[in-house]
Amino acid sequence: MTAAHSPVEAEALPDKPQSQRRRFWRRMFRNPLAVLSMLWIAFLVLSWIWPELVATKDPFKGDPTLQDIFLTPNGEYWLGTDGFGRDYFSRVIHGAGFAFQSIFIAMSIAVGIGVPLGLFSGWRGGRIDRTIMWFNDVIFSLPIVLLAFAVVIVLTPSLNSAMVGVGIAMSTRFTRLTRAVTLAEKEELYVDAARITGLSTPTILRRYIAPNLLPSLIVQFAIIAGAIILIGATLSFLGVGANLDDPDWGVMLSRSRVEFRRVGIWQIVPPAGALVLTVLSFNLLGDAIRDSLGRDKTSNALTVSKRVSITPTDRPHREDSLLSIRTMDVEFPTGGGDPVQILNGVSMAVQPGETLGVVGESGSGKSMTVLSALGLTPAPGRMTRGSVKFDGQDVTSISEREWQKIRGKDIGVIFQEPIAVLNPALKVGRQIMEPLLLHTDMDKKAARERAVELLAEVKVPDPRRRIDQYPHEFSGGMAQRVGIAMALACSPKLLIADEPTTALDVTVQGQILDLLMEIQEERGTSIVIITHDLGVIAEVADRVIVMYGGQVVEGGAVDDIFLRPRHPYTKALLDTMPQNHHGDDSPLAVIPGVVPSPTDWPAGCRFAPRCEHATDRCRDELPGLEVLAPGEVVRCHHHGELRELLASEWTEVTL
Amino acid sequence: MTDSLLSVDRLAVHFGGRSKLFGAAAPTVKAVNDVSFKIDSQRTFGLVGESGSGKSTVARAILQLVDIHAGSIHLDGTDVTHVQRSAELGFRKRVQAVLQDPFSSLNQVHTTETIVGDPITRHRGVKPGNERRDLVGALLDLVGLGRDYLDRYPYEMSGGQRQRISIARALAVEPDLVIADEATSALDVSIQSQVINLLQDIQRERGVAFLFIAHDLEVVSHMSHEVGVMYLGYLVESGAAEAVYQAPTHPYTEMLVASIPFPNPREQAKRRLLRQSFKTAEPPSPANLPPGCPFENRCPVAMDICREEMPPTSVVHHGGVARCHLHTSGPALGGESVVEFIKSQAKGCVEV
Repeated sequence: MTAAHSPVEAEALPDKPQSQRRRFWRRMFRNPLAVLSMLWIAFLVLSWIWPELVATKDPFKGDPTLQDIFLTPNGEYWLGTDGFGRDYFSRVIHGAGFAFQSIFIAMSIAVGIGVPLGLFSGWRGGRIDRTIMWFNDVIFSLPIVLLAFAVVIVLTPSLNSAMVGVGIAMSTRFTRLTRAVTLAEKEELYVDAARITGLSTPTILRRYIAPNLLPSLIVQFAIIAGAIILIGATLSFLGVGANLDDPDWGVMLSRSRVEFRRVGIWQIVPPAGALVLTVLSFNLLGDAIRDSLGRDKTSNALTVSKRVSITPTDRPHREDSLLSIRTMDVEFPTGGGDPVQILNGVSMAVQPGETLGVVGESGSGKSMTVLSALGLTPAPGRMTRGSVKFDGQDVTSISEREWQKIRGKDIGVIFQEPIAVLNPALKVGRQIMEPLLLHTDMDKKAARERAVELLAEVKVPDPRRRIDQYPHEFSGGMAQRVGIAMALACSPKLLIADEPTTALDVTVQGQILDLLMEIQEERGTSIVIITHDLGVIAEVADRVIVMYGGQVVEGGAVDDIFLRPRHPYTKALLDTMPQNHHGDDSPLAVIPGVVPSPTDWPAGCRFAPRCEHATDRCRDELPGLEVLAPGEVVRCHHHGELRELLASEWTEVTL
Repeated sequence: MTDSLLSVDRLAVHFGGRSKLFGAAAPTVKAVNDVSFKIDSQRTFGLVGESGSGKSTVARAILQLVDIHAGSIHLDGTDVTHVQRSAELGFRKRVQAVLQDPFSSLNQVHTTETIVGDPITRHRGVKPGNERRDLVGALLDLVGLGRDYLDRYPYEMSGGQRQRISIARALAVEPDLVIADEATSALDVSIQSQVINLLQDIQRERGVAFLFIAHDLEVVSHMSHEVGVMYLGYLVESGAAEAVYQAPTHPYTEMLVASIPFPNPREQAKRRLLRQSFKTAEPPSPANLPPGCPFENRCPVAMDICREEMPPTSVVHHGGVARCHLHTSGPALGGESVVEFIKSQAKGCVEV
C-alpha cells in the first residue's frame, strides 16, 4: 500500500500518485521481456483491427486456377501459399483476429459474470456466500474444454459459442479472485468509514472496493487471455472451433498436419510460432505487471547492509562507557538522487549499570541509532561516518560474523511486538534455550533447567509447565516477559529495549517496567530503553537522550531533563502532555507544524520552523552539539539565554 | 425516553456461540455486558478501557456495525437499536465517526475533495462541482488544513493530517454526535495535542457531542465532561471526568490512574509504589468470564463475595455509578473514593 523506503521511518510520506504511476511504467519499460510482449501484443491488436494494413492479400480467396498452390516462401507470398493457393502470411495475420475475438467473447462473459458475482458473494458473506462458492467450485472443477463442448452442442457449433463455454468456465477464476479481495477489503477501516458516512452499498462497491481490485484483476486478465487463446486453438484443432476455411491458428495447425507431406514440415511453424509467442507474451506481461505493481525487493528491514568507507570521527570515546557512539551519520541511497541522511552526527554513551532513555517522536531516528550501532542498519541504508565502541572494543566496522558473537551474548535485545518476535511453531522453552545452546557450552538438559530459572526470574507463573507451551498461549504481557527472558539468557552486559511496552496495556506496562528495574538492580545490567513516551522515561531512566529530526538535541540526567529542560523541543514536548494540564480546562499546549521529512531537512536548526524562540540565526545556521559536562549535551543556539525561562515555567506547573 | 442526545441502556453484544451444522458451537464471547450511559448534546462522554474491554464494540454497536444482543439505544428519544434501512440515511446524518487508524480509515485511491465531498453529495444533494468544492474547502479550513489539501491523496499526508481529513469528513454532514474511536492514539505526542485541541474547538463552534473512546485515561479525562471506565465488557465506573480521575470509586479505575506514567521522575516514584500494590495476575478471557467480579483476581482488596457474585451498580459520591462490592458489601464504603482504603489495606505489602 505504501511505497518503497519502509526502513527510513514510519511517518515518511510515500511517493505521490503521479510518481507511483511513473514508477510503474519505468519498471515496465526497464524489463525487456515486458517491452517485447507489449510490442507483440500491440502488433496483434493492429492486425485484428486493421489486418489489411499488415497483410494486403485476401486470406480467404486463393488462386482460382489452382496454379499457385503449395508454393514455398517467395517475394510475392512471404510465407508461401496453402492447398487453395491462399497467401499463408495473410492467413497468419488474420488469425490474430480470431484469437482476439475469442478473448473478447470469453473475457466479456468471464469478467461480466465473475466480477459482479464475486463482489456480491464476498460482500454479503454468510450463507449466500457459501452457496455461491459451492456452485462456483463445482464449475471450477470441470475441465474447460468439456464445458466448451457442452455449449457447442447446445448452441450452434462455432468458435464463438465454444468461447461462451470457455467464458463461463473462466468466470469462476474471476469470482474467486474478486470474492477474496472483497472479503479482505470489507474488513478495512475505510469501508467501515464509508458505511458510517451513509454511502449506499453499490457506491461502496464501485468506488471503494473496485479500485483496489483492479491491479489483481489486470494481472489475472493477462494470464487468462493467454489461456483462452490456447484453448481456442485446441478446440479449432479438434474441429469444434473455427470453420475449416477460417484463417484460425488452430485450424491452420490442423491442416498443416494433414498437408505436410506436400509442403514440408515448415508450414506448422508460422501458426504454432504465433500461438506460442502470443500465449507467452500474455503470461510475461502478467508477470511484469505484477512485479511492477509490487514493492521494491530491496526494502526488507532484515537485510543488513554492508559497511563501506566509514569516515572516522575525531570525537574521543569516554574510556568508562560500555557502549559509546560518536558522531554517527546514516544515509539511505535514493534512486538516482542524493542520498537521504537519516541520522546526523549522533553521539551517545551508556555507562555500566545505568539506564539510558532515548526518547523521540516517529522519524526522530531513535531506533535507527541503536540498530546502526549494533551493525544492523537496515538495507539499503549505511553508516557513512562515526565510530562505535562496545566494552572497550572498536566495533565500527567489524564483520557480521564477529557481531553474531556479541549480539545475543553480551547484548540482549527486547522488541516492541513480543508475539511477533516469537516463532509460533516452536515451544517457548526451545526459543529461550536457543541462545544458551549457541553461545555457551551448556548441554540441552542444563539449558532447559536454565530456561525454567529464567522464566521464574521474569515472574512467569508456573514456569515448569509454561516452558512447554506455544507463544499463542501467552498474553501480550506474558509474551514480553518471555522476550525479556530470551534477552537475558546469556547474562548480557547491555540490554536494549526498543519500545518494550508500547504494544502493551497501561496496567501491564508498569509491571514490565518494574521487572526491567529489578533486573538492573540485581544484575547491574546496563539498559538502553527507546520510547516515545516521556512518562516511561521518567520512571526508569537515569539519563536521557532526546532526539529530533535525526539528531540528538539534548542529553542529561533524568531530573535535569524533566525539571530543567535546556532545549525548547524538550520543553514543548513536556507541555503538550495532558498529564501536565490537570485540573485546568485550558487547551493543551501544542507544537505547531509537522516533523520535518528526511528528504527536506530545514537549513538551520531542524526544530526552528516549529520553535517559538527561533531567531534568524536558528533558521540559517545548524547549531552544533555542545558538551556542557560529561553526559550533558544540548544542541541549541540560545540555550544559555533560555535557561531560566524554560526551567522556571516548568517547575511552577509541576510542584 | 429522556432528553439526552444519546442514551445507551443495558447494551449487550455477544459474538460467536451460534451452533454450526457440524461440530461444536464456538464459545460465546461476551464483548459488552449491561452497559448503560447517556450523552447530552454538546457534551463529551469519554469511554476508557484496555484492549478487550469492549469499548470499541460499544461504538460499533451504536454505529450499526455489529449485531446487538440485548439492550437498547435511543437517539433523542427515538429507538435506534436496530435502524431500518429506510431510516438509515437519516441516522447516518446525525451520528458520524472518526476511526482509529489514520492510515487505513481513508481510501488511498481518492483525493481529499472526494473523501470529504462524498458524504456532502449523499446527504445534502450537492453534486460534485464548484459548490461542493467550496463546502469541502471550508471544512478543510475548519480543521486547520486549508484549501491546498483539496487535491491531495491520503498517502501524501502525515498521520495527523489524515486524522484531520477524517474529522472533516465526519463534520461534512453536520452531525449531532461524533464517535471518536481511538482517534488520537496512533499520533505522535506533539500531533496528538493538536488534534485534541481541534476537537474541543469544534465542539465549542459547532456544538457537536462526542463519544470519545481511548485507552489513555489521561487523554480521555482531559477531553471529556463525563467518563465511563470499562473492564472486560462491563462499565465498572462512570461519572464526572475530573472526579472519577481524582477520587475513583472502583479499584480498577484506581489501578488505571496509578498506571499512567507521569513525565516527572519525582511524581513517578510515588505513583510506582501505589501501582505495585495491584496484583500482576492476568485478566480472565472474555470467552470464559468468572461468575463474580471480573477484576477480582487483580484487585488488592478483593473479598470472598467478589469471587461469587457479580457486584450490582450503585450510586457513588461523584454522582455517577460504580460496580463494586466495596460500596454495598464488606467495608461498605457507601460510594466514597477507594484510594485511601486501598492504601491502608495495601500498606502491609508495600514499603512506602
